[in-house]
Amino acid sequence: MTTRPNSQGLLGLIDFGKKPDGVTILMMLGGAILAGVGLAYVLLQLVLNGHSAFNTSSNVAWGAPIAFYLFFLLTSSGLSVIASLDTVFGLKVFYPVAKRCMWLSITTLVAGFSILALEIGHPFRMIWAIPMGMQFHSPMWWMGVFYSIDLVLLCVKFYLMHTGEWHTKRAHYVSIASFTICILAPGTLGLVFGMMAMRPAWYSPVMPMYFILTGFATATAFILFITSLYEHEDKQAEVKRLYTSVLPRLFFVSLLAVIAMRFGQIITGLWSNYEGMEAHWHALRSPLFHVEIWLGFVLPALLMASESRRQYRPFQALAALLFGVGIFFARLELLIVGQVVPLFKGSFGGYAEYWPSATEWMLVPAGFGIFYVLYGAGNWLLRLSETSEQ
Amino acid sequence: MSRWGMVIDLEKCTGCQACTTACQVENNRLPGENWQDVLFYAEGEYPSGKFSWLPRPCMHCENPSCREVCPTGATFKDKDGFVLVDWEKCIGCKYCMVACPYGVRFYAEEKQPVQPDIRSVFPGDGDKMWNPPWQMPEARRDPKHGVGIQPTNVVSKCTFCYHRVSKAPAGTVDLDPSNPALRDFVPACVVTCAPSARYFGDLDTPTSEVRRLIAEKRGTRLKEETGNRPQVYYLAGEQSSIPETRSTRIKS
Repeated sequence: MTTRPNSQGLLGLIDFGKKPDGVTILMMLGGAILAGVGLAYVLLQLVLNGHSAFNTSSNVAWGAPIAFYLFFLLTSSGLSVIASLDTVFGLKVFYPVAKRCMWLSITTLVAGFSILALEIGHPFRMIWAIPMGMQFHSPMWWMGVFYSIDLVLLCVKFYLMHTGEWHTKRAHYVSIASFTICILAPGTLGLVFGMMAMRPAWYSPVMPMYFILTGFATATAFILFITSLYEHEDKQAEVKRLYTSVLPRLFFVSLLAVIAMRFGQIITGLWSNYEGMEAHWHALRSPLFHVEIWLGFVLPALLMASESRRQYRPFQALAALLFGVGIFFARLELLIVGQVVPLFKGSFGGYAEYWPSATEWMLVPAGFGIFYVLYGAGNWLLRLSETSEQ
Repeated sequence: MSRWGMVIDLEKCTGCQACTTACQVENNRLPGENWQDVLFYAEGEYPSGKFSWLPRPCMHCENPSCREVCPTGATFKDKDGFVLVDWEKCIGCKYCMVACPYGVRFYAEEKQPVQPDIRSVFPGDGDKMWNPPWQMPEARRDPKHGVGIQPTNVVSKCTFCYHRVSKAPAGTVDLDPSNPALRDFVPACVVTCAPSARYFGDLDTPTSEVRRLIAEKRGTRLKEETGNRPQVYYLAGEQSSIPETRSTRIKS
């Protein structure tokens, strides 16, 4: 399919003529139910109990909601990087997936922001207090700046693609700017944790790289899983090659890189005697850790190791799904490992206890629901399969 | 300008927690949310094990990492050395809680350790978190400096009793609670300390009592390696010690 430039205003960009297919209808309907139930439950609890509905405490200040929005924000950045592989670096093999990645990037970012808004104490105050504060020494301030710019650039880039501008000068500049931001934003998010010398289990100059890499790997899993739902698009040889050879290989390589980094973290964590690092031993006793490592990282890598299995779409979908679950829990595990050893609480408190409350878990259907509705709508109305003519 | 600091003599401290209670009442804190706490430590094993305690207010650091990470500037350092939270700017992101090496910041929107939840027994009006039966006088409340009845969804911490200390007569160097003329300006925990283990004064004045004690009794600060440079000094002497660990060290 080729692009169709449109000049009838914003509404004219939407293709109402096409009927949604079964998967898309299911996605939007299911998403609406998930989002409705999740948001209703969370908002009701916030009205009735405030943020006490969360199981966070002054010991574990950041809990599951932070992990969930990390998952969505980092995936968004990874998707944007995949889209940039053709628009910035000219790797034409990624053309068929670029526009879909851009839309996925926007939708995951919106889902992440929605969860953040529900987690933060004063979401409306944040809108004026962060820009007015100008706290340029705070990594969180930069994170806010970069992710805000990221959302704007993603929308502009998607708009240009949608109106057929893939290779104009301004499209190229926007692509370069968007790519730069989608590296800076997750990198800064990594710094939010990595700069905390007082939290030894987080403190690491490698944390930004870990965030960028895991975001990219998750994005590869995302696009593999999503496109496995649309087998009919594999008919063209070049498209087939992308889905059965290029993307699965990319996924496998990024999986190996994630495993190497993660095992590096674990081994240094278990070896170190520095106070606070005993959290890594504590993590070994957590079921989350084993879901993350064995089910979420190692098993998908084994599934993707063989060339023949890599080409098989159901195996790809399974490996992608498993990695998605693994990285989801990895984000939560990361949050806990940095806070489980309490700061100056005396000998008798033991490790800080934390497990997400029902309200926190309900942010998961809320986030995924928002994502499914937006993605389904895009798939129906925004011609996500179209590609550049060049 | 002063640079207010505190000295805590661990040889004198009996661990009675009167300071904790005084702070609670003075600052209308929720039960269990101790801006000022006394931490108890058991270290080592029989026959050389020991039991110790550590009073722990906010350190009001010279280079506070909580201020560095705050994305809105709600946490700031006052010209007189106080580290404070502007409750009207705080967005409740809790990054400062993560960044404080001493665990002295609090977010009151959590399940209360003491039941029944006193917030439901004395529900707050407007944006106030609760309506305590004894309240700080209206004239002393100052949300821009984190003083008074706390609003919901913001972070709070020890203010070194800013509402008392900032009213001290200009030029005061030592806030000695035994001096009746100054008593109203001394932090509540210092006034209440029965064995007089706490001292409060200007760290920038070479002749101040706190400077003399730090110099003569080798005052030490917690977690110097973080570079936060606390304005709270501990005197360990020969009869006591600073606990070896900041938290529990459980054998793995």
